Amino acid sequence: MRGRLALNIFAAIIALLLILPLLAVVPAAFSDKSFIRLPPETWSLRWWHIFFADASWRRALMTSLEVAALSAILSILAGTAAALGIQRSGPALRTLLTGLFVGPVVAPVIVLAVALYAIARSAGLVGTTTALVIAHTMLALPYVALNVGVSLAALDPRLDLAAAGLGAGPWRIFRTVTLPLIAPGIIAGGVFAFITSFDEVVLSIFLAGPTVKTLPVRIWEEIRVEYTPVVAVAATLMVALALAAALCGRLFLRRGAR
Amino acid sequence: MTSVRFAGIAKAFGSVKALQPTDLDVATGEFLTLLGPSGSGKTTLLNICAGYVVPSQGRLLIGGRDVTDLPPRRRNMGMVFQNYALFPHMSVFENVAYGLRVRGLGRADIERKVAHALAMVQLATFDARAVRELSGGQQQRVALARAMVIEPDILLMDEPLGALDRQLRKDVQLEIRRMHVAQPRTTLYVTHDQEEALVMSDRIAVMRAGRIVQIGTGRDLYERPADTFVAKFLGESNLLRGEVAAVSGGRARLAVPGLDRPIEGRAAPGISVGAPAAALIRPEMIRPQRDGVPGRVVERVYLGELAAIRFRLAGGHELWCRRLSGEVPEGDAAEIGWETTAVSILPEATQ
Repeated sequence: MRGRLALNIFAAIIALLLILPLLAVVPAAFSDKSFIRLPPETWSLRWWHIFFADASWRRALMTSLEVAALSAILSILAGTAAALGIQRSGPALRTLLTGLFVGPVVAPVIVLAVALYAIARSAGLVGTTTALVIAHTMLALPYVALNVGVSLAALDPRLDLAAAGLGAGPWRIFRTVTLPLIAPGIIAGGVFAFITSFDEVVLSIFLAGPTVKTLPVRIWEEIRVEYTPVVAVAATLMVALALAAALCGRLFLRRGAR
Repeated sequence: MTSVRFAGIAKAFGSVKALQPTDLDVATGEFLTLLGPSGSGKTTLLNICAGYVVPSQGRLLIGGRDVTDLPPRRRNMGMVFQNYALFPHMSVFENVAYGLRVRGLGRADIERKVAHALAMVQLATFDARAVRELSGGQQQRVALARAMVIEPDILLMDEPLGALDRQLRKDVQLEIRRMHVAQPRTTLYVTHDQEEALVMSDRIAVMRAGRIVQIGTGRDLYERPADTFVAKFLGESNLLRGEVAAVSGGRARLAVPGLDRPIEGRAAPGISVGAPAAALIRPEMIRPQRDGVPGRVVERVYLGELAAIRFRLAGGHELWCRRLSGEVPEGDAAEIGWETTAVSILPEATQ
């Protein structure tokens, strides 16, 4: 009984340590002073007005959403195809391909950033949305491939045979049997992909340009100049949007399970 | 014409020969069961018929047409899997309608045919249910309806009752048999359960180690098994091993070491003088008899309407006997006998 209580207290402390910095940023966004102090002495929406009045912040937010959405879609398409290919290949090839696709997640991000920067530079893509989307897709795709791979592994292979025996061709089998059954994996992978892109900062710093920059890049630039609660506003927005994405995925899965 | 002909069909998976070159003819409307232990090649033969497995050699003809190179979806066969393989994300109706939608039927036709198929398996009111909500027996019947509704040329079933409990299995066996008799459709049925094979089949092919050992009606196989393997696989059997002393006119005499008299019986093909062989005496053919072989009762097992009695003969051989419970001899000493017409002298099954 006492051991149980101690364990609960310990777990609560760990949970608080994990969440507290995230929660601290939220009140900081509602200050009316020009500097960050916790807790704020008076509450206001002053910095929210400033954030949304500034075209560069608005543009950064839209760029982030656009890049994350495009990366998620590309990751879903390529990652699902990759998972299907991996599942249909022999054991040796499967191990090799799985390693290959997980590579970008395991490799040091800075190495990837330098390499991508060199390539984007020679292709004249630095500072473009295209470069950001491609780079983010590299990082996000493995989450889709892995999630869909798990869904595929749980699929009874005889369902394919049954559908084929009833006269269905490969495309119809994929559309009516495989796809609906791996949809939860695709959605979960897509949400991961969106969040991965949305809060990616290292690759983005290397590949962003004067006009095309994501919200994390804009935050980073801002703190190097001045440290005002507008940064906290941007951070709060990021937490809220990431949470919203996760919740949407959750709701979608819940509805599918019924 | 929906007869099936396997012409020299064989299959090897790597170096493993799952199926030796096999010839088999199934007549239009016939219910043929492939019976054998696991690894005997029966499921491979079925999957070759369905098109799921491509044979290493040989041709497959349906109604005289060579379909060896056709993919499963062009064969118009209805397959029922052991674990049903129902589409878990679809309702009962959608599962049964799947093959009809693939064939591009109109809504009215689909609804009519699905309703008919579900009524046939006594699930008429289950169309809106989710597959997960059904019991094993109900799922099995949905699978059957899904396979039958497309009016397949051939119905293929791979141990479809394996996951059901004993009583349910018996019910569904009889149901499948009734449906087959009402509307005969060429059927290939795979099982390792001899009782299932006997209840449902027109003919049974007993398989072992990738080949068909014997094919015939249940009665043929039970009364005239080709060798000791078939004898042991169908029904209970007493086998006394010895050496063939004489063969003439389709009958043979077997000298069994330790037994004071030879055993006479029908000679199976392949029996020759001097060769090792076994005498098959079915337990129900053994009865107490005056001036019979002397023996001793060593065990009595009560089975309800029947009783099983184990006799030990003077030479140390043991025979199981089955009698109605009321006819069990009292006391330990007994003399037993059997009709020589009920005895078969069989070659030993070769490995």
